[in-house]
Amino acid sequence: MIMIFTGLALTAFLMGPALAQETLKVGIVLPLTGDQAKFGEIEKKSFDLALEEINAAGGINGKKLEFLIEDDTGRPEVGRSVAEKLITKDQVVMLGGGYASSTTYAVAGVAQQNRVPFLINTGSADNITEKKWDYIFRLNPPVSEYASGLETFLAEVVKPQTAVILHENTMFGTKGAEAFKKTCGKLGVKVLMTEGYEAGGIDFKPVLIKVKEANPDIVYMISYVMDASLLMRQSRELKLTPKLFVGGAAGFTLPEFNQNSGKAAEKVVSATLWHQVLSLPGAMDYFEKFKKKYNKDTEYHGAEAYAAAYVIADVLKRAKSVKPEDVKQSLKETDLMTVFGPVKFTSYGKKTNQNKLTTYVVQWQDGKLQLVWPANLAKAKYVYPVDWLKVWGL
Amino acid sequence: MKRNRLTIAILAAVFLLFPVAVTSDYYRHLAILALMWVVIGGSWNLLAGYTGQISFGHAIFFGTGAYAAGILADKLGLSAWWGLVLGGPAAVVMGLILGFICFRLRGPYFALATIAAGEICRLIAVNWESMTNGMVGILLIQSFRSKVPYYYLALALAGGSMLVFSLVMKSKWGFYFVSIREDQDAAESLGINASLYKNLSLAISAFFTGTAGAFYLNYMAFIDPEVVFSLPYISIMAILVAIIGGVATIWGPAVGAFIMVGVQETFRSAIFGLAPKWVSQSHALVFGLMVIFVILYLANGVVGDWPKIKRLVVRSR
Amino acid sequence: MTVFLQTLVSGLLIGGIYALIGLGMTLIMGVMGIINLAHGQLMMVAMYLTYAAYTYLHLDPYLALFVVMPCLFFLGCAVQKFLLNPLMDVETIIPQNQVLMTVGIAIVLTEVARFIFSSTYLSVRTSYSTKVFFLGGVSFNWPMTVAFLLAVALTVTLFWFLLKTDLGRSIRATAQDKEAAILMGVNSRRITIITYGLGAGLVAAAGCLLIPIFYLFPDIGRPFTTKAFVITILGGMGSTVGAIFGGLTLGIAESLGATYIGMSYKEMVGLIIFLLVLIFLPGGLKRLTKV
Repeated sequence: MIMIFTGLALTAFLMGPALAQETLKVGIVLPLTGDQAKFGEIEKKSFDLALEEINAAGGINGKKLEFLIEDDTGRPEVGRSVAEKLITKDQVVMLGGGYASSTTYAVAGVAQQNRVPFLINTGSADNITEKKWDYIFRLNPPVSEYASGLETFLAEVVKPQTAVILHENTMFGTKGAEAFKKTCGKLGVKVLMTEGYEAGGIDFKPVLIKVKEANPDIVYMISYVMDASLLMRQSRELKLTPKLFVGGAAGFTLPEFNQNSGKAAEKVVSATLWHQVLSLPGAMDYFEKFKKKYNKDTEYHGAEAYAAAYVIADVLKRAKSVKPEDVKQSLKETDLMTVFGPVKFTSYGKKTNQNKLTTYVVQWQDGKLQLVWPANLAKAKYVYPVDWLKVWGL
Repeated sequence: MKRNRLTIAILAAVFLLFPVAVTSDYYRHLAILALMWVVIGGSWNLLAGYTGQISFGHAIFFGTGAYAAGILADKLGLSAWWGLVLGGPAAVVMGLILGFICFRLRGPYFALATIAAGEICRLIAVNWESMTNGMVGILLIQSFRSKVPYYYLALALAGGSMLVFSLVMKSKWGFYFVSIREDQDAAESLGINASLYKNLSLAISAFFTGTAGAFYLNYMAFIDPEVVFSLPYISIMAILVAIIGGVATIWGPAVGAFIMVGVQETFRSAIFGLAPKWVSQSHALVFGLMVIFVILYLANGVVGDWPKIKRLVVRSR
Repeated sequence: MTVFLQTLVSGLLIGGIYALIGLGMTLIMGVMGIINLAHGQLMMVAMYLTYAAYTYLHLDPYLALFVVMPCLFFLGCAVQKFLLNPLMDVETIIPQNQVLMTVGIAIVLTEVARFIFSSTYLSVRTSYSTKVFFLGGVSFNWPMTVAFLLAVALTVTLFWFLLKTDLGRSIRATAQDKEAAILMGVNSRRITIITYGLGAGLVAAAGCLLIPIFYLFPDIGRPFTTKAFVITILGGMGSTVGAIFGGLTLGIAESLGATYIGMSYKEMVGLIIFLLVLIFLPGGLKRLTKV
């Protein structure tokens, strides 16, 4: 008995270091607790799902890939500490993740300073890739481009003259509002008012009644999901009827928005970064696999994470070594098609190492989120104009 | 608590040599945070533990110091290190304003007013975007890549603040502070100018907290209103550091700072990776339970109730 | 004009719920002189209980009121008896230990809720959640109107309780002068336990009434705790009428602030009024009346 035990122990001991050499560690920073935890969870699950597949398919040239997922608790200073820990204590070869813009920004600062490559997959404030930080790469479009798909929809179909912008007041909402204002300038749409608000409010009626008085053609909102629901519910209660309600992605495309708004979600249009019906290789597969494994729906954040995992694997396979400069070089040379879309990092405008993607337009129809624009990719026809009072049952 | 010279010398040696012995940046970071909290907790302790003015708004001073440094760097293009010089005085100014508004209030009313003032400062920082960048915050590049200079700076601040507090409390001012705490009216009837001494205590307290804030900006290189003006993570944390360590003692906040930082990170990292993952979900819960436990059984903190703890340990042998 | 009326109505209706939150807090503060920083979290617990009742027992929130209020009453009593009362015996340098204990309780309640329900946003969508009726162009949300009316009813009941029953009178006596009350034979320990329970029960009612129109997640408590003591100070510590006026005032002030100054300044309005009242009107609105 003792012999067997000793034998096993010796084997494990000898195998230990050998095994350790065979693992490539990548640090992933996500909010696993706190109020952003929900999305952190979806991304973590997507990373886990991808990791299983990647390792089952032989890992990184035979070596195992390991994701060290750390909780930034939704606070940038914790994100910083965690990033430092991953870099100095765990000696990861690169970083991934980055959900909230402010946390992503702080983590990027650490990564750049320590010359460790960081592949961002969700944090969307523009300034993160405008700092000429050569170790920072971003897979997802910046928030200023979230509405790019909307532009043509508005220009060709809706043709609004006036707009009102409502946005939550963190980096995400503020930058998004700025970007949409520019879009309005380009399209010749007059912005009647822009109102920021602190997320988590109960009663938006004071603001909405002002919007009603202003009588805009479109109401553009950048909100997290629960605010989005309340905004629509209360718009309905006030019988606020612009020509169109448009969401700037995020909250407006999530299943919870529909669940919590009921009738008030119907026919609301939104920009979106991803939809499972897009003919991107593996998009629908990913959606179904996720549902099968976790019994939940996934959405664009999950797709971003899943794609990021595959990009990381691809980058490490092609890298000449695990030294940061080589990983960085490998990232620069990326040209991969993922479930989220094509990934190729370019520099344009003020940005560096940014992946450029188009966005799409979706609309809630009969309780389902349908892809309605661009017309050649759409699976359903958009509904416009909308008789809101009829749709709302009032 | 009287500690003999030898103990202090040994402690000093340990702290001075710490970065040499421990080369992991992760542990150095924790040490730096703990030292920063020694300063903040000690400052709160001066105003509240010794002078009896229970402030729930110390984040005001921390945030002011941090933003003073941040605005210098971000808007005026100067080095954020000037913040270390200006952060303290800026916080003192804020403190005097706060004192002017709130010192006429006593007990729970004073505490409530400081909560409100703290939140108002936070909201101003969020909305005054031209000065503070609002929720976007201020991000800099750290001056030093190594943690060692920051460690020694934090150590100097911690040691310096403790020395100052100790000297103040041993002086006449110390007596006046305590007498105001015990019974402000009686103290005034004895000719002590309560208003003057409350403000003095507040000024010293604000000065060190503001300097700690400026240090924070230079070290973490990122601040935003939610981080530095936070009620739970700065104001209440300061109170808990002092209480868990032991209010109205010089060493209390120091002990409290290390306990708080240590326990929090131990649980957040699931005992540094040794325990199952779900343990890290419970870090806030453990924090809350610790607060309840300490207040119930160790109300004078680890240092204050040290005799009690010694007795318990001896008994259980 | 419609904008103004709508703003006023919005403010008034939410003010009713605020009043309920404030009522509980003012009793606790008036009787025990402690700032209950766990107030919002007690409401959160009530909301989770209501959610559970709705999801698993299919009990309508307005009916769940009768179950959840007593539950929170007992929880409140337990908290006071085991965690807060003992502190009154402990000799400490600073008297604010009770406040910090409530901080600890708030954290524990929030984290336990997170453990059980996770951080997901939950909501209770009843058939009447978004029902609305119009009076002269002004929109009235049904559940909020009902909440307002129920808040009035509960307040009246509370008044009757405090004025007409022995227990109520004992509570008022303890609030006025604890030492004298003890001399008159009032068991102050028991009173503090019951008062905390009562406070918890009232804020539980606010939670039940709020859940059809808002949503629920573990951290929902904190802003409400802040509002609770703003209302309490506004109305005057210990004054039930004050709490009502405080709640309504806060609701209307926030609403007007949101419309005419800007929605991101909404929170500041309440806090600034709070500070002004603390400094210039220390007794709160109560000072302006005789009650």
